[in-house]
Amino acid sequence: MDPTQLTIAAASRAIADGSLSPVALTEAYLERIAALDRELHSYVLVLREEALRAAQAPARGVLHGIPIGLKDIYKTRGIRTTAGSRRYQDHVPEEDVETWVRLRQAGAILLGKNETHEFAIGGPDFTLPFAPARNPWNTAHYPAGSSSGSAVAVAAGLCAAAMGSDTGGSIRGPAAYCGIVGLKPTYGRVSRRGVFPLSYTLDHCGPLTRTVEDCAIMMQALAGYDPQDPASADVPVPDYRAALSARLDGARIGVIRHFHERDAVADFGADNAPNAAYTAAFDAACRMLESLGARLVDLQLSPLIDYADANRLIMLAEAYALHEKDFQERPQDFGHHMFARIGLGAFLSAADYVEAVRQRRELCLEFARALDGVDVAVAANATGPAPRIDSLPVFGTFERASYTGPFNLTGSPALSVPIGFEDGLPLAFQIVGKPFEEAGVMRTGYAFEQATDFHRQRPAIAAPLPGR
Amino acid sequence: MPDQPISVERFALLVERAGLKLTPEQFEELRQAYRHVERMQRSVRRARDRAAEPAHIFVQPRA
Repeated sequence: MDPTQLTIAAASRAIADGSLSPVALTEAYLERIAALDRELHSYVLVLREEALRAAQAPARGVLHGIPIGLKDIYKTRGIRTTAGSRRYQDHVPEEDVETWVRLRQAGAILLGKNETHEFAIGGPDFTLPFAPARNPWNTAHYPAGSSSGSAVAVAAGLCAAAMGSDTGGSIRGPAAYCGIVGLKPTYGRVSRRGVFPLSYTLDHCGPLTRTVEDCAIMMQALAGYDPQDPASADVPVPDYRAALSARLDGARIGVIRHFHERDAVADFGADNAPNAAYTAAFDAACRMLESLGARLVDLQLSPLIDYADANRLIMLAEAYALHEKDFQERPQDFGHHMFARIGLGAFLSAADYVEAVRQRRELCLEFARALDGVDVAVAANATGPAPRIDSLPVFGTFERASYTGPFNLTGSPALSVPIGFEDGLPLAFQIVGKPFEEAGVMRTGYAFEQATDFHRQRPAIAAPLPGR
Repeated sequence: MPDQPISVERFALLVERAGLKLTPEQFEELRQAYRHVERMQRSVRRARDRAAEPAHIFVQPRA
């Protein structure tokens, strides 16, 4: 059997019982990258020799021998880290990102650096030196971003898992469009140290995997206090895998319907209406949660635009502050999308930012109260399949209803899980939890996953290579 | 959302204040997109109690 077809859980069992070696697994992934990535563009750098050398290391931890990818805004010592930009095209950091230190200590093998939107916001941009990644379900379509390459590599079987970052949905959007699992943990749960920042108070680091169980395994290695990350929280880390359960008996799940059923059109216009296939998939997913023993209750929050605009304004202000000097002195270094999107941040005032952050506190309080009576909540993710990659407006970031941004604003753990397909392209919803309750979020996702087969469906390009 | 984009004159002042040197194409693209900034400003600027504090307040850093 082609070992790249295995989940992390299954590959780990095979490595443990001696039927699979980390070297064979790494070679198999490298073979797939060589054969398929010219079409997918999910890697900007492949570390063939380094990966094969690392695969010979003795067992270390829960990820022993598991090949992964890192979004190319994760700094890696002695290994080029571009942030998808001309500005850092030849940048070789002197330090490793904390998350990679933890993954490596757990035994993971780094296959390479995954394509990213420029500084995690500017893309897909065909004016940059790095070709945008393509959706493995249909390469004419967009895989979402900004953790595009990470999601594509996982979905296409070019790594077992990958790391992304999420400021307004950059893990969960790509997970949704690529038909995989993506977790944005609680703000403070996973260290951000060593990741190129986009927006200090909204940035989150998290894993992209094929299954929720694999997500739990990755989180076991990733989660925990980092005293050198000012936002890191000193909160005990539970056994995530032990918390997984196939049933949801007694669970209470809030359903945030009005974001996609009413607010998207009311606040962002008619072309933001969820399509019929998405609404049907979302409703069917809710019924499935009920059939697993959960009790559903509708949650009523402030309109989606209140959350989405506060999130976007804070992001713009913080991102522009980070890049202001380069915008003024070397604007030619930026790609078109990055310059246009973050350039809008130049026109915000200090009072705008403070008002947005005051609104943030109000909405965080509102959301905490809403979750008080439930264990987790579910909400829409992108409410339709991936659009064509050549049809995306530069300012779509600000024009479209964002279902993911609200949970960056609240800092809540949020998991994207596949819930169906339309025209051969995946659909997904989000499971959102209280702060530091990733275990409950993953438990819900795992139960849903065990009762459905959406996660078992893979794009044709993920099939074993001929002869494998 | 307003029908008219910000005027060229007013936007030129904002660009100058920001210290940006834009090509004519960049100027016009950002001018047309400025309506998104205006929408976000309207969205977050609302009547609040004066005691309503921001989400992040100053915290003493650990040594």
